[in-house]
Amino acid sequence: MKFLGYIRADGSVGIRNYTLIMANGRGAANLAALVAKLVRGTRCFVQPNENGRDGEDRKTIARTMIGLARNANVGAVLIVGNKKDGGYPEFAYDAFVGEIAKCGKPMETVFMDSCGGFQQAVGLAMRKARQLAQKASECFRREVDLGALNMAVKCGYSDATSGMSGNPVVGELFDRLVQAGGRAMFAETTEVIGAEHLVVKRFADEAEGRKFLEAVARVEEEARSTGEDIRTINPIPANIQAGLTTLEEKSLGAIAKSGTSPIRGCVKYAEIPAGRGLYYMDSWMSSTALFLGFAASGSVLNIFQVGGGWFPDDAMMPTANTGLVTPTLFMTGSPRTFAKAHQEMDFSSGTVISEREPIAHAGERLLADVLQYASGRLTKGETMNVDDNIEVYLRGPGL
Amino acid sequence: MKAIIVMSSKDNVGCAVEDIVAGDEVSYTVDGRTATFIAKDAVPFGFKAALQDIPAGGDIIKYKEVVGKAAMAIQTGECVHVHNVEGKRGRGDIPEVK
Repeated sequence: MKFLGYIRADGSVGIRNYTLIMANGRGAANLAALVAKLVRGTRCFVQPNENGRDGEDRKTIARTMIGLARNANVGAVLIVGNKKDGGYPEFAYDAFVGEIAKCGKPMETVFMDSCGGFQQAVGLAMRKARQLAQKASECFRREVDLGALNMAVKCGYSDATSGMSGNPVVGELFDRLVQAGGRAMFAETTEVIGAEHLVVKRFADEAEGRKFLEAVARVEEEARSTGEDIRTINPIPANIQAGLTTLEEKSLGAIAKSGTSPIRGCVKYAEIPAGRGLYYMDSWMSSTALFLGFAASGSVLNIFQVGGGWFPDDAMMPTANTGLVTPTLFMTGSPRTFAKAHQEMDFSSGTVISEREPIAHAGERLLADVLQYASGRLTKGETMNVDDNIEVYLRGPGL
Repeated sequence: MKAIIVMSSKDNVGCAVEDIVAGDEVSYTVDGRTATFIAKDAVPFGFKAALQDIPAGGDIIKYKEVVGKAAMAIQTGECVHVHNVEGKRGRGDIPEVK
């Protein structure tokens, strides 16, 4: 099975071809945002402030940004800043720009202190961004194997259909993707609580399995430390109003999206896995943070598998473009949600319930659609210029 | 006759795939065996019904796994949800119940 993708210098394969503009420190974020508005085909990542963050969180911000720049959906990169160096070590020239440069894609930098100030930097950055946009466009789509694809999934607005007819269809897709040599990723550490004993058995490497269990134990301890019943936090009210009763029930339905392949490793938020196959990312579940983390880990197509029992009629999809450089394919396993929100949904396996379609058959249909989106067809979310609120998953205090 | 889906023969709850009202006859098939019961409550699409009587404190089983415990005795055909089920995990509000 084949699709038409962009082959990058490091061998990775993209399905979109953006010019990414970012600042090497929050202080120059306005410059990046201004230039992005003026130049076609750009994406701009406005990062959270690194000032007053502990080393671990600063590393997470830098890792996220480096990962976004290395993502195969990015054809060229422009880094702007106040100065080349002088901030926290994570954003020093060699550590930040040097790391991005390793992937070999067209890249430029603009620093205000070496070009005469902010307004001069706007002009210079605009000129360089326009050149980069044209340079990126010189990469043409070519036929590549399904196995070149990196994907990730999050489930959300969960209801009973999530575990019955939605997530199992993604699991089927992921089994096929992994068999073809691709990379698949799932996450959401709160939402494996109650199902971790089933997931850990599938880790191929014992040390990686231990990392996974430690992550689950850490998050459950964080949940207990709130002094609250987790059920007042997660399942979220939308889940409970749609019929999900406990976190354990939500988790058992959620893990079906991982399929049946062995799990190769447990990575941090925004960490790029070392190999192919199925991976677990230790991350917060929020769709404002997770799709970004997936993109930074190399996913070129994210799936948002929603139950949606709680949705109003004619619902707009939440967080349509939070992958920033990675499109989101919205799907549901609920025939009712598809009827309510068909204008925003890219795929429905509600037929598993309404017509008793076999899961394997729905998985095959999803795979056929994935190859189309990978070859350039826009997802419904991509047809809108929605700038979603995007967060990086930070765990430390503001100091 | 209304339909619910039961994920495993070990489960003691099933999931409504249409809106069930009290008094409806409900049918499900699991492992080739078909069974019926009368709904005691409304069980909307996506909500759960008890397939058998579950004593107070008894495990709620779905996907062959424990998803919570009965906060009170639950009878066959009753809706099973937050009003009669407690979660066992991530409980910061009470000492560990594992």
